[in-house]
Amino acid sequence: MAADSDLESEVFEITDFTTASEWERFVSRVEEVLNDWKLTGNSARTLSPEKGQYTSGTWGEKSQDINFADFKFYITHYFLKEECDQDEGTDSPKEDVLPLGIQDLLCMNNDFPPRAHCLVRWYGLREFVIISPGTNCEAIISESKCNLLLSSVSISLANSGCQVPMFVQIQQKWRRMYAGECQGPGVRTDFEIVQLRKVPSQYNHLSGLLDIFKSKIGCTLFPLPPVNIAIRFTYILQDWQQYSWPQQPPDFDTLLGGEVGGVEFGKLPFGACEEPISELHLATTWPHLTEGIVVDNDVYSDLDPLQAPHWSVRVKTAENPQCLLGDFLTEFFKLGCRKESTEELLGRGLTEEEGKDNSDISSALSKLTEPTATVPITKLYVSNMVHTARKHIRRHRRIDESPLNTDVLNSVLLYLFPDAAVEKSSENVKSKTAPSNSGETTEQDKNSDYNLFLQLKSAPSDSLTYRLALCVCLVNYNYGGMRAVAHLWQEFVLELRYRWENNHLIYGLTGGPPDLRCCLLHQKLQMLNCCIERKRARDEVRKTLEGSKDRERRVSGGSQNSRQAPESTAAATRELSQGKSWDSWSDSEDEFFECLSDQGEIEAPQTEGGKDVSKGKAEGRLHPHNNMTLLNSTEPLYVPVTQEPAPMTEDLLEEQSEVLAKLGTSAEGTHLRARMQSACLLSDMESFKAANPGCVLEDFVRWYSPRDYVEEEVVDEKGNTVVKGELSPRMKIPGNMWVEAWETARVTPARRQRRLFDDTKEAEKVLHYLAMQKPADVASHLLPCMIHAAILKLKEEESVEDIPSVKKSIQQAVSQASKLLHPPNRDYKKLEDFMNQLMVMEISITRARSLKAKFSVSEDEKGEDADELEKFVSSLLEEPEVAVIGAGQGPAGSIIHRLFINSQRAALLAPMDDDLVSDRKLTGRSSKVADFPPPAGREILLRTCVPRPAPYSKALPQRLFCVLMKDEFRLAGAFSTDTSFF
Amino acid sequence: MEEDILTTLKILIIGESGVGKSSLLLRFTDDTFDPEQSATIGVDFKVKTISVDGNKAKLAIWDTAGQERFRTLTPSYYRGAQGVILVYDVTRRETFTKLDNWLNELETYCTRNDLVKMLVGNKIDKENHELDRAEGLKFARKHSMLFIEASAKTRDGVQCAFEELVEKIIQTPGLWQSENHGRAVQLTDEDAGGGSCGGYCSLV
Repeated sequence: MAADSDLESEVFEITDFTTASEWERFVSRVEEVLNDWKLTGNSARTLSPEKGQYTSGTWGEKSQDINFADFKFYITHYFLKEECDQDEGTDSPKEDVLPLGIQDLLCMNNDFPPRAHCLVRWYGLREFVIISPGTNCEAIISESKCNLLLSSVSISLANSGCQVPMFVQIQQKWRRMYAGECQGPGVRTDFEIVQLRKVPSQYNHLSGLLDIFKSKIGCTLFPLPPVNIAIRFTYILQDWQQYSWPQQPPDFDTLLGGEVGGVEFGKLPFGACEEPISELHLATTWPHLTEGIVVDNDVYSDLDPLQAPHWSVRVKTAENPQCLLGDFLTEFFKLGCRKESTEELLGRGLTEEEGKDNSDISSALSKLTEPTATVPITKLYVSNMVHTARKHIRRHRRIDESPLNTDVLNSVLLYLFPDAAVEKSSENVKSKTAPSNSGETTEQDKNSDYNLFLQLKSAPSDSLTYRLALCVCLVNYNYGGMRAVAHLWQEFVLELRYRWENNHLIYGLTGGPPDLRCCLLHQKLQMLNCCIERKRARDEVRKTLEGSKDRERRVSGGSQNSRQAPESTAAATRELSQGKSWDSWSDSEDEFFECLSDQGEIEAPQTEGGKDVSKGKAEGRLHPHNNMTLLNSTEPLYVPVTQEPAPMTEDLLEEQSEVLAKLGTSAEGTHLRARMQSACLLSDMESFKAANPGCVLEDFVRWYSPRDYVEEEVVDEKGNTVVKGELSPRMKIPGNMWVEAWETARVTPARRQRRLFDDTKEAEKVLHYLAMQKPADVASHLLPCMIHAAILKLKEEESVEDIPSVKKSIQQAVSQASKLLHPPNRDYKKLEDFMNQLMVMEISITRARSLKAKFSVSEDEKGEDADELEKFVSSLLEEPEVAVIGAGQGPAGSIIHRLFINSQRAALLAPMDDDLVSDRKLTGRSSKVADFPPPAGREILLRTCVPRPAPYSKALPQRLFCVLMKDEFRLAGAFSTDTSFF
Repeated sequence: MEEDILTTLKILIIGESGVGKSSLLLRFTDDTFDPEQSATIGVDFKVKTISVDGNKAKLAIWDTAGQERFRTLTPSYYRGAQGVILVYDVTRRETFTKLDNWLNELETYCTRNDLVKMLVGNKIDKENHELDRAEGLKFARKHSMLFIEASAKTRDGVQCAFEELVEKIIQTPGLWQSENHGRAVQLTDEDAGGGSCGGYCSLV
């Protein structure tokens, strides 16, 4: 209230905060920003930054738009993030403390930081503000504009009391010209820069620059306080001539010249084709000199780089050097994005026959399922396989037009199917056993590397699928691109078909049902193997039967029709099974588990209807079940030989669960689902009946679902305790599926039942599926294997070099890949990024390799030197700049020295003999040729603390940073003035 | 209706024959109990949408047959499941001792190793318990599972079991989110600084 009335009483005194001109507005905006960023107070820290803190610490950056009329500027605050303010307690600002920006001018702890903003390098500042023109704005070139900006800065600094140095960027951006100012109590520092394209000859040395510095200071004191000097010369080495990049690109042609078998196909290439390290920069530093100690003028110089007390090195890496593994991956990945079909690639003629075959699968199936006289296995040589497949292709194509060279194709196929070659020599097909064991699985393979396929959903590294991926990649890269891949794929599928038709298991796949943890292609191949295995088993049985019984073959059509199929089940299944995945379970196929049947055997139990069983002949017994006997007789209860359930690949499974799910959740749906899945139960019941003549459902349940047979001890009329058993309530529900199935089940041993798994049909489906894959599809199928192979390769190469950062990246890459490869819909953008990361790793490893080659110690040198060098090389890879221990005299230093000498010789003289070079080393530096080339850059830092402008003023920091290069001459000066009496 | 469903989850119910897997499911989905439920053949399937913490999740629950012989058939349906309910019968010790086999089965056939597992001791309404709660708890702790005792007959714990499971799955984002927002591998630290001089300011 009181305040209100006060205001009212003072209504006539108006404070005008409106700003008239654009310029005033700009100034106040700058002040506002400084206030916002809290840069206005005196931070009053006196701690000078620690040695190397500018490099090890992190730099912050804050930025904002700011307008001068409609001209856009950025105002940016750069600062070194300090871990904690230790001097929190001593908050009382001392009056005469210099602003930090001015103190920093003299600090020597962070001269020539390897990685910093240029203003940090030139002025040693740890905090500053820059106003620079906005992105699409023209540079501030005219002098009056520059001055206007600078005075704006000056006014806002003074108004806000900000002690942080503030710069404006003037002239064209590439010139990196800044003008700035820093204000403190009674003191001001002006920052000025001169930039020229050429170094004026009178300033091309230390003495000339000292002259400029002194004249600029304009100090009249005598004697002048000594000027502190820091000098750094930088030498560039580009010519690695003596230490040429050791890696030669692999000679692909030799692959063919070598043995048939092509072991090389299993390997991925690795390494850079060109030097991955383009330049070596040697910085020789004299960190602390005083005027008069060294002489450097137009006729003489003391500054010999070899004598410099401090050496540091940085390497410049080649941008995107061509790397083999990366190229392979990229090309392979690109292949996955193509659209062309095999037909488009290889021409109509080639695919015609395939197409015809596949156009009507069902007719093809019926043709194949017909019992035909198969070629006796013993007469086949596996070596024929590849051969036959080839002939097949040749019918359609002249050799010279095949996209893939025949020799290459041969070696690829032999690499993929090495059993063909083995069998050729031994000529013993029958001895071939489990295809799963490639026989090379050592203990070492069983480590985590081996199980990598689980994470990546690829395939084991000794599997056919994995090898196929390597071959497709190589063929794509080197033997004809996509067309050759299409060709190879066609041959591959042909070979598989040959194996299927001739009962040869596919080599290099783990046995058993498809492993759902592997990629789909691998599952398909495993599935095909399952089919071949089943077919083989069937043929074996048939052969033994043929041998033992000289019986006539009868077409069993009539007896089939007379059989009573479980009608409802069959109907239900058929309804839904049109072309669906469980065709394999359905009864629609007329093929039996065992094709040959004996009329008498089948008829007998059927007429008996499973009731009067004692005379029935038991068939298909596996073994007695736990000493149990049948309930209605003393016969032991036998576990029957049963059909194995159908193996499934993940796509089949997906389809099937979809259909099962589609039946809905109603009771009917549940019932229908049970029906559809009862084929297996029914088959087991039939087998059980055949194995246990005279059995009842209770017997079956005792084997199949023991908990549904409840036994109780009861006392009978005679007072004896007897065990009485009965079916559980749920089994006694009238009309439940189990009872129903039991009633419909015939007495048929498994071998005469309809096949639950129609291997013929499934095999054809797999082969058809494979034949339909475009080269791009093949590539996407194999991508996980390829990434798997690449990661293994990187791991292997890294382990030789031992680079921690790459090791860590590989770890991360594995978990990332596992995320990228698992979902069914791959994110190709992310995958591409991922590939690039693999390439970066490859490049890192080749860089390490290149550096190690260059800095390798000769054998006769001391062991500790080797350790030191190794450390030096690894830090070169991880850090922007590495100090050379012992400078020019240390082990690394002498190698660098030698590198320069050799490069100098190569550049200036005719190549000379090695012994001449060593001679020269012995005689010292007496040669006409200098050891080092002229420095590519010279940086000279001059500092002093003198009173300015008058001799009686306060002594204040003065600094001049000079850069002398071939095409640039820059002087960055910071001159402080005592403003107290001026 | 369908739009606000956060995700669809696949849940499996496994365990020995006759422990009440189908009864638990029926209690959860239809809130009924049928003492004379016939033994499952192969797999069965039910759907229910539930809301946990305001998140609606559609559950596709696959109920499996417990009989030994079906075990060659049912594991194919394990693929892609995000959650699994292992059921044992508290009145029959052997259904508990067989749990290890079921876990092995899961490990072998599940395509993901981070799925959420819940152990349910069923039939606690019955008198003659052969297993007490502590044993179930101990087993669950050993295998990092959720644990609850329940009765499909009396409703006890059934709803709660499913809800807990779903909540846990939703709390494990990698499990149900189809797209992964994993950070890219960082190979090089980004150039510090920036600005007009490129930040990485060396002499040449």
